[in-house]
Amino acid sequence: MKTLIEITDLTYKYRSGGGNAVTALNGVTMQVYRGEILAITGQNGSGKSTLARHFNALLTPGSGEVIVDGLSVNDKKNTAAIRRIVGMVFQNPDNQLVSSVVEEDVAFGPENLGLPQAEIVKRVDWALKSLDLEAYRYRSPNSLSEGQKQLVAIAGVLAMKPKCIVLDEPTAHLDPKGKREVLENVQRLNRDEGITTVLLTHSMNEVVHCDRMIIMDQGLIKLTGAPRELFAQAEQIKALGLDLPAAAQLAYGLKLKGLTLPGNILTIEELVASLCQLP
Amino acid sequence: MELTKNITLGVYLPGKSFIHRLDPRTKIIASGIIVILLLMIRSYQAYGAVFIFLAAAVIIAGIPPGYAFSGFKPMLPVLTFMWIFQLFLYSSPDAEVIFSWWIFTATDAGFHMGTLITLRVIFLFGITTLLTLTTSMVSLTDGLESLLSPLKAIGLPTQELVMTMVIALRFVLILAEELDKIVKAQMARGVAFDRGNFIQKTKKIFPVFLPLFISAFKRAEELIIAMEARSYTGGKHRTKMKTLHIGRVDLAAILIMLIFSALIIFLILTVNPTI
Repeated sequence: MKTLIEITDLTYKYRSGGGNAVTALNGVTMQVYRGEILAITGQNGSGKSTLARHFNALLTPGSGEVIVDGLSVNDKKNTAAIRRIVGMVFQNPDNQLVSSVVEEDVAFGPENLGLPQAEIVKRVDWALKSLDLEAYRYRSPNSLSEGQKQLVAIAGVLAMKPKCIVLDEPTAHLDPKGKREVLENVQRLNRDEGITTVLLTHSMNEVVHCDRMIIMDQGLIKLTGAPRELFAQAEQIKALGLDLPAAAQLAYGLKLKGLTLPGNILTIEELVASLCQLP
Repeated sequence: MELTKNITLGVYLPGKSFIHRLDPRTKIIASGIIVILLLMIRSYQAYGAVFIFLAAAVIIAGIPPGYAFSGFKPMLPVLTFMWIFQLFLYSSPDAEVIFSWWIFTATDAGFHMGTLITLRVIFLFGITTLLTLTTSMVSLTDGLESLLSPLKAIGLPTQELVMTMVIALRFVLILAEELDKIVKAQMARGVAFDRGNFIQKTKKIFPVFLPLFISAFKRAEELIIAMEARSYTGGKHRTKMKTLHIGRVDLAAILIMLIFSALIIFLILTVNPTI
């Protein structure tokens, strides 16, 4: 089975303060494939966070269906099992770490699963090692940089051995170095451990490294495809209020000025290669 | 961090001493026993014995004595006030008057009462500081969870209570930093916290605490979602990565505590109380 998460015609409404409902998702149909890195982008309020919270049963569908690894989110009995399959990392690391000791925080998830002690120790060792955090094992998260804190949060999810990790704007609070650390580690876990990854982000430079991307707007999926395909449609991307990756933006600007670069440019390396080909 | 400077209570000094290696439960119970003994002591001799015991513990734990004492500094005004209060207000019929002025009369009974009560507070503070200096908050809460666990039988949600404490500990510093930020942001907009009379100053506190509370609730909400996402469903079915063990050091400590308690009780029973 190729699909890990299958979503069919999902709608979701929030009740707002005045009592009237706000539609966050308006008939979304999509899939997350096993082993891929999927980026979900869109402006604030486009519904991407609401969508992602259905992936591990934090929200239950208003209507429509969400099937995670063969289990329906609509059925409350599946909630515990689904949360073992899909882990979630949130934007602000400070608001998701529980303990004042790194190792204890990483153990929090496995402890909740009721695993035997030896297995918890094994998993904590493994998760800390995978993210290169062993040196901080006995430290307090308060003494770490924001990027390292976010890695601890990822280690905490990793220790639960999920098939899929959903990251909800994990780099929004981080400095450039922290952003790079987190992204590199996310890509490495996807590559080495085969963990399906869903990355919610505003940064088009992060999307470039993903296998597929989904662009959301007003509770609907507007575009789906490989980043290279979608960024070729610069006008459409801009109409949805999003930017192009930096290199693609430059190529697009040059094209508007009458200089069309050869090739379909997404990364700095491609831009350099393409510029060097100019006569 | 300006807010936490000069506060030794709640600070942990990592180490490998005999006292550091004790099981947190041993330390909590031992501290509890000393607290109870302190409440019964009414003579200088017994306080002397407690002092020697605590001083030895501080030295064994490898805590710099200067650091151990610095924690008392913020308490000095309160202690002095308390001592003066007792000096003038406490009296017994056969007390000797030391001096008298206007409506104030100081007796030797008041002097001793003030001194004994001040010593009691100092020692109570000392023993709790020693406990937290040598025990990390995490092992303290682990110890507490284990000690409270019999209360589960009468329906007390001990694991949930301890989890609440663990989270509270993690957020103390985060919220302190946030408070600092809010204060600075308001100072930048012209609020002068150090000016005005008592009432004016107090009024300025509300605009600081309101955003702090709102932010704390927002954080709490995010944390709940993150905990739920990590399969937290309360204390049931949870296992622990670390379990506590009573070792040989603990047996030695228990023996020492027994002898010390016997000595103090002996002193309480035989030495005439000062008051």
